[in-house]
Amino acid sequence: MFFRMIKGVLLRQKGKMAMIAFTIALGASLATAMLAVMFDVGDKVNQELKTYGANITVVAKEASVVDSLYEVDGASSIPTSYLKEADVANVKKIFWAFNIVDFAPLLQTSASINGTDAVLVGTWFGHHLSLDTGEELDAGIVSMRSWWSVEDGAWLDETKEGDVDRVMVGAALAQTLGVKAGDTVKLSCGKKSGEYEVAGVFSAGGDEDNQVFAPLSLVQGLSGEKGLITSIEVSALTTPDNELSRQAAKDPSKLTVAQYETWYCTAYVSSICYQLQEAIPDAVAKAVRQVAESEGAILDKTQLLMILITILALIGSALGISNLITASVMERSQEIGLLKAIGAHDRAISGLLLAELIIVAILGGAVGFGVGYGFAQVIGYTVFSSSINLSPMVIPLVVTLVILVTLAGSIPAIRTVLRLDPAEVLHGR
Amino acid sequence: MKKSSMYLRMITASLARRKSRMLVALLAVTVGSTILAGLVMVYYDMPRQMGEQFLAYGANMIFVPSSDSDGMTSEEIEQAASEIDGSVEGVISYCYESATINDAPIVIAGCDLNATLETSPYWQIDGALPQAEGEILVGLNQADFFSLQVGDTVPVSYIPADVKAAVEGENLNGDVEGKVLKEFTVSGILDTGSTEEDYFFISEEDMAGLTGETLTYDVTELRVNADADALAASVERIEQAVPGVTPQLVKRITESQTTVLSKLSALVLLVTIITLALTMICVATTMTAVVTERRREIGLRKALGASDKSIMLEFMGEGLMLGLIGGLLGSVLGFGFAYLVSTNVFNSTITFLPALVPVTVLAALAVTALACVMPVRNATKVDPALVLKGE
Amino acid sequence: MSLLELKHVYKIYGDLHALDDVNLTIDEGEWVAIMGPSGSGKSTVMNIIGCMDKPTKGEVLLDGKDISKETSQGLTDIRRDKIGLIFQQFHLINYLTALENVMVAQYYHSMPDEAEAMEALERVGLADRAHHLPSQLSGGEQQRVCVARALINHPELILADEPTGNLDETNERIVLDLFRQLHAEGTTLIVVTHDAEVGASAERVITLEYGKVTSENGGTEFGKAARKDVI
Repeated sequence: MFFRMIKGVLLRQKGKMAMIAFTIALGASLATAMLAVMFDVGDKVNQELKTYGANITVVAKEASVVDSLYEVDGASSIPTSYLKEADVANVKKIFWAFNIVDFAPLLQTSASINGTDAVLVGTWFGHHLSLDTGEELDAGIVSMRSWWSVEDGAWLDETKEGDVDRVMVGAALAQTLGVKAGDTVKLSCGKKSGEYEVAGVFSAGGDEDNQVFAPLSLVQGLSGEKGLITSIEVSALTTPDNELSRQAAKDPSKLTVAQYETWYCTAYVSSICYQLQEAIPDAVAKAVRQVAESEGAILDKTQLLMILITILALIGSALGISNLITASVMERSQEIGLLKAIGAHDRAISGLLLAELIIVAILGGAVGFGVGYGFAQVIGYTVFSSSINLSPMVIPLVVTLVILVTLAGSIPAIRTVLRLDPAEVLHGR
Repeated sequence: MKKSSMYLRMITASLARRKSRMLVALLAVTVGSTILAGLVMVYYDMPRQMGEQFLAYGANMIFVPSSDSDGMTSEEIEQAASEIDGSVEGVISYCYESATINDAPIVIAGCDLNATLETSPYWQIDGALPQAEGEILVGLNQADFFSLQVGDTVPVSYIPADVKAAVEGENLNGDVEGKVLKEFTVSGILDTGSTEEDYFFISEEDMAGLTGETLTYDVTELRVNADADALAASVERIEQAVPGVTPQLVKRITESQTTVLSKLSALVLLVTIITLALTMICVATTMTAVVTERRREIGLRKALGASDKSIMLEFMGEGLMLGLIGGLLGSVLGFGFAYLVSTNVFNSTITFLPALVPVTVLAALAVTALACVMPVRNATKVDPALVLKGE
Repeated sequence: MSLLELKHVYKIYGDLHALDDVNLTIDEGEWVAIMGPSGSGKSTVMNIIGCMDKPTKGEVLLDGKDISKETSQGLTDIRRDKIGLIFQQFHLINYLTALENVMVAQYYHSMPDEAEAMEALERVGLADRAHHLPSQLSGGEQQRVCVARALINHPELILADEPTGNLDETNERIVLDLFRQLHAEGTTLIVVTHDAEVGASAERVITLEYGKVTSENGGTEFGKAARKDVI
C-alpha cells in the first residue's frame, strides 16, 4: 500500500512533483557546474598564466651568464659554459613531465647582422621530438613568447620546408637596419657568415627587440658550437609555494623522509627544478621568481574567489530547493490532515512524504547533474577553450547536498504540518 | 474608508499573518537578490582587484632616456609619471654604473631600494635590503662568483667617466689616478631567477658618493594599475609632454595581463549569468508554489464578485511588496558577500555601488511579478465553483 | 414579478445529464429550499443560479435578464451586485479577521465601510469576535461570519449551499434564525440542502432527482408558522 500511495502521488500529482524535480534539477545543476569549475579552475588558470612565459630556466652549473638587462656597457654577454642539446629532451622524462607545458633550448651568441652588432639567439620553433618513451611532441619558443606580436611576416616554423634557413628580427633592430620580412640579411659570427631570409619581424616590448632569433641548428652552425646550448626555458604548471616548498628550495636534504616524499610528489616549482637538475647533467634549474611567485598569488586568489562564489551558489541552490519543498509540503497540509484523521501514525506519514521527495530528488538530481556537467563544459569552452575535467569529488558532494537539502527542506515542514489538528486542517484551514 | 486603504490592509494582513508561507517566499526572493547583487558587485570590481594582483608580476611600464640624452633627471621622471592615467603603485629608478671588484668588471645599480618592495614583490632576499650607508645587495650569480656571504665586505672601485676618457686605451686595472675605492658590506643576497642576479645594488646616496655626481637615471620601472588602453594612451601623452623620457610598455606583462584578466572576467561573468538564471528560476518556482496554494482563495474572491483584474492587482501587490523587501535585503546581503570576497580574497575593501540597489530591486520585482502572473491567471480562468469544490 | 426563472435548463457533462430540462420560477421575497439526494443536480443548480457556471442549454432569467448568455466578466458583475453566497465550507480568507472578511465583500462591491461591516457582525451576534481570525472561531461562528458577508451588500438573492452541513444543532438553529430574519425583511433566499429540518423551514421545497424536478410543494406548516412568528 505504501508503494501504491507513493506511486499514486508521483503519477497523479505529476505537475507538482515535476515542479519539485525541476527545482531540484536546477539546484543540482548549479551545484555540479560550480563545483566542477571550482575544482578545475586552478589548472585552467594555470594554463592561462603560461602566457607570462617560462617560469623555470636551466643553465649550466658553472655558467655565469652575465647578460645585460638594459644594454649597459661593460657587461660581457658571451656565455662560457654550455649544456648539451641532446639532454634537452630529458625535461620530458621527470616525475612531473606531465606538467611541463612547453620548453625550448636557447643558444645565445653575439653576431653581426648586416654589419651591426647584435645578440643572436638560436632556439626551437615547433621542433619535433620523438622520445625513447615513444612519446611524440612539438616543443619550442612560440608558446613562451605569447606577448610577441609579429608585425611583419610570420612566425618561423621548423616543420615548414625552408624555414630552418630563415631568421626573425626584433622590431627595433629591423628599424635600425631597415629590413622587413622577405629581405635577405647577412649574419656573421666569428669567421663564418651566411645570408638568410627574414621570416618575420617581431615586437617584444623589451630588449629582445634588438635581437635576432633563428633556428638552433643555424646558430650552432654559424658559431661552431655544435650540439651545445646555453640555457633551457621551461614552462611548467606548478602548485603555489607554501612553507614546505620554501624550506625545501633552500636545502632538500634537511627535510624528513615524509616531507621529502610530499615535496617531491607535489608540483612545486622547487621540486620541478630539483627534478630537472636530476635529469640534466651539470645543470642548475632556477625558478624565475617574477613569474613563479606571481602565478602562485593569482592562482590562490582565483581559487579562493571561485570557492566563495561556489559557496554562495550552493547556499542559493540549497535554500531554493529546501524552500520549494517546504512550500509544497505545507500545501499538502489537507492531505496530511486526512491521513492523520483516518488513523495514520505520524511516522508513517513522514515516511511516506520523505520517500516521495527522495525519489523525486534522485530523479531531479540525476537530471541536474547531467545539465550541470553541460554548463561546466559551456564555461570551459567559452572561457578556456578546453573541457572541464570532472573531479571525482563532485559526484559525492552533489549527491550529499541534494539529499541533505531535501531532508532539511522537508523535515521541519512535515513536523509543522503534523502538529496541526486534523480537524482544523480538514475544515476551516 | 477608502478602497486603497482596504487594499493595503488586505496585502499587509496576508504578509503579516501568513508568516510561514511569506517567510518562505521572502527567503527565496532575498536569496535571489543577494546572489544578484553579490555576484554583480564582485564581477564589477574584479578587474580592478585582480589587476592589483597582476601587479605582482612587476613593472608594466618603463622609462628610458631618449636617444639624445644620457640619463633622466628625477624631475623628468616625476613629470612623466604625473602624466600617467591610472594609479601608479610603485616607481623605482635605476642608475647603472660599471665598476670593478678586484679588477673584475661588475655592474652596480643605484636605486631607492625600499621601493623595490613595491615594484618587484617577487624578489627573494637572503638577508636584508641595505639600510645603512655602505651596505650592498648582491645578485645570486655574483655572490657565487665572488664567494660572498651576508656580512662580508667587498672593495668596489669606480673609475669616473672623465678619468676613463683621459686614459683611453690604457689598462684600467691596477692603480689608476682618480679611481674611487670604497668598502661595502653585503647586507643581503638577491634571488630572482633572472637577470637581476647578475647585479649589485646600492642606495642612491651611496651611488652619488661613489660617482661624486648628481644621479641621472638609466631606467625607471613603474607599476601602473590601469588597463591596456589607458596604458597606451599614457605612453603617448608622456612622449609628447616629456621629451627627455621615452616610455615603453613591458609587453610581456601588459599583454599577458590583458589575456589572463579577460579570461578571468569572462569566467566570473559566465558563472554569474548561469548562477543568476538558475537562482531566478528557483525564486520563480517557489513563488509559483506559494501562489498556486491559494487557488481556493482566488476562487472565493471571484465568487464574491472580484474581477480578474482586481485579484491580479492584489496578488501583484503582495508579490511586489515581497520583491521590494527581498530586493532591499538582498542588496545589503549581496554587498556583505562582495565585501567578504574583497577582504578575504584581495585583502582590500570594496565600494558600495548605489546603482546596484535599484537594479536588484527591479530584478526582484520583475521575477516576483512574473512568478505571480502565471498561477493567478490560471486560477482566475477556472470557474470559481470548480475551485471552491476542488480538493 | 418573478426574480428568477429557469426555462428548460440543461447541463450536460459528456453523457451525464446533470440537469435535464429544469424549469423553475422563484418570486421576490420567497424562501425556497432545493433538496435531493447527492448527485441529483442540487449543486449544479446552485452554481448556475449563483452565476458560477453556465447551462449547456436553456435560459436563466435573473431580474428578467438572461444570464446564460453573459460573459464570465458579466457574470462576475451580476454575482457582485445581486447575489450573496454562503458555503458549506465557509470559505473565509484565513489570514483576515472576521471583520475584514466581511469588508472584502464590500471592497469588491463598492466601498469598504468598517462601521457597516461591524453592524452586520453585530446582527449575527459576533460583535465581540470581530477581530478574531477564522482559525480562532468555531464552525458556527465562521458560518455566521459568512452570513454577515453574504448580506453586507444587501443582495437581491442569498444563495446558501448546505449552510448547516458542517454545524452542530445549536449553531444550525442560530443560522436558521438568521435566515428567518432575512426572509422576514423580504430577502429572497435559496437554500440547497439535504437536511430535512432545514428544508422544512422554507416556504417552498423543490426536490431534484437525476437532474429533474420531481416535486414542488408549498413547504410545511412549520415553516410557514415560523415565518409568521417573526412577522
